[in-house]
Amino acid sequence: MDSGLYIAASGMLAEMVRQEQISNQLANANTPGFKSEGNVQEGFGELLLHNTVTGARVGSLSLGAEISETPLDLTPNPLHETGEPLDFGIEGEGFFAVNTAQGVRYTRDGQFTTDAEGNLVTPSGDQVLGANGGPVKLRADGTVAAGSVGVFNVTGVKQEGENLYTGNQAGAGSGRVRAGFLEESGVDAARVMTEMISSFRSLEADQKSIQTIGETLSESAGSVGALS
Amino acid sequence: MVGALTTAAAGMEAQQNWMDSLSNDIANVSTTGYKSQRVGFRSLLYQAPGRGAGEGAVTGAGSAAEIIGENFEQGSLEQTGRSLDVALTTPGFIRVRTPAGATALTRAGNLQVSADGQLRTAGGDALDPPVQIPRGIDEEKLSIAPDGTVSAGKRKVGQISLVEVTNPNGLQPDGEGTWVPTAASGPIREARGARLQQGSLESSNVDLANVMTNLSEAQQGYELAGKAVTTQDEVLAVANGLIR
Repeated sequence: MDSGLYIAASGMLAEMVRQEQISNQLANANTPGFKSEGNVQEGFGELLLHNTVTGARVGSLSLGAEISETPLDLTPNPLHETGEPLDFGIEGEGFFAVNTAQGVRYTRDGQFTTDAEGNLVTPSGDQVLGANGGPVKLRADGTVAAGSVGVFNVTGVKQEGENLYTGNQAGAGSGRVRAGFLEESGVDAARVMTEMISSFRSLEADQKSIQTIGETLSESAGSVGALS
Repeated sequence: MVGALTTAAAGMEAQQNWMDSLSNDIANVSTTGYKSQRVGFRSLLYQAPGRGAGEGAVTGAGSAAEIIGENFEQGSLEQTGRSLDVALTTPGFIRVRTPAGATALTRAGNLQVSADGQLRTAGGDALDPPVQIPRGIDEEKLSIAPDGTVSAGKRKVGQISLVEVTNPNGLQPDGEGTWVPTAASGPIREARGARLQQGSLESSNVDLANVMTNLSEAQQGYELAGKAVTTQDEVLAVANGLIR
């Protein structure tokens, strides 16, 4: 069978993954502390083609492509002022740590609130960890000293959803916490829209390849060897 | 692969929720004691997309937005000169009892004397404990001290109960300018530091300029997610176009 068919099909599948990723980024254009991810497209492997008569090299043939990785872009985004005392933003590197039922998770979204005991918690009720690893208590006036909220360096960061990340804590982060601020979403709308369009055109080109190869195959099956 | 379509649609819904909340804030820009809403955005679950991707790749399922409480920042004070208008100048609430008998909290201090001589809020809730104004007393002559003591001349006729909770964000708004305590807010306790100012009302703390900026951001976000929905529809059309 014609390997071109599978190569073009793998290209279509990869573009569809890219479209899923782009949709997610556009959906999170206003999510505080959101980090967008890139995508690395890799070939499955390559064959070296030789001319069967002369033995001369023709060149390489790729066997198709896939999105192999989606690396996170952890560049800090600008903070914007909200005036809400329980909104926090990290100026610089580092993550807030949150004690969830599944273990400690990390976030850059500092939209916090309190629980009935006066601890700083996320909107889903998970405790935010202080610089010393314990809970952060609200002061009598309902505010929190920005310095008492912990910022941690995290390695091996992976997205989990709910604005949370998994990873390994590696000491205190260098970023400074500011109360009354939130970090903006890391989605660059203009860039993502452009990527959406170009990916869509690649998808169309892959589809055209499949159709053309399909026509070639039906030509070989239907016309070659026909008697009249 | 229909995933991309629902992902984009989730984004539209999240922005829509934000716009709904902002519209509510705009509608209450002149509601006494109103507190603007806080809307929280969150990303949804990340998973391996399956075919077309390797093991190192994940895609997210869009976003969601919910009201996560209210911004209890002090609203500005408006001088009215009316003796039964009181404004809280500190955090805290006035404790009231709804006609149904439930305890509720409010910051809307435009009080009035009802036909039965009781001090009530504009919404018809009685103060809790009730304050009965004796007959024949001119309500213009009533004085309300910063700690909530109501007196007619030198005679104390009642006490406006000023209270607080540990977590105001856990209070349940009931849409009538009052909040109902919940397990998340913690129990009601006396607010010793709370202060009232007679002859003033606390304005809504909605900052219109801020709301308008947010509204335009929400609209932009809605459009972006909308564009994604349209494109994902076209992506599926291209896939379907493989078989003619």
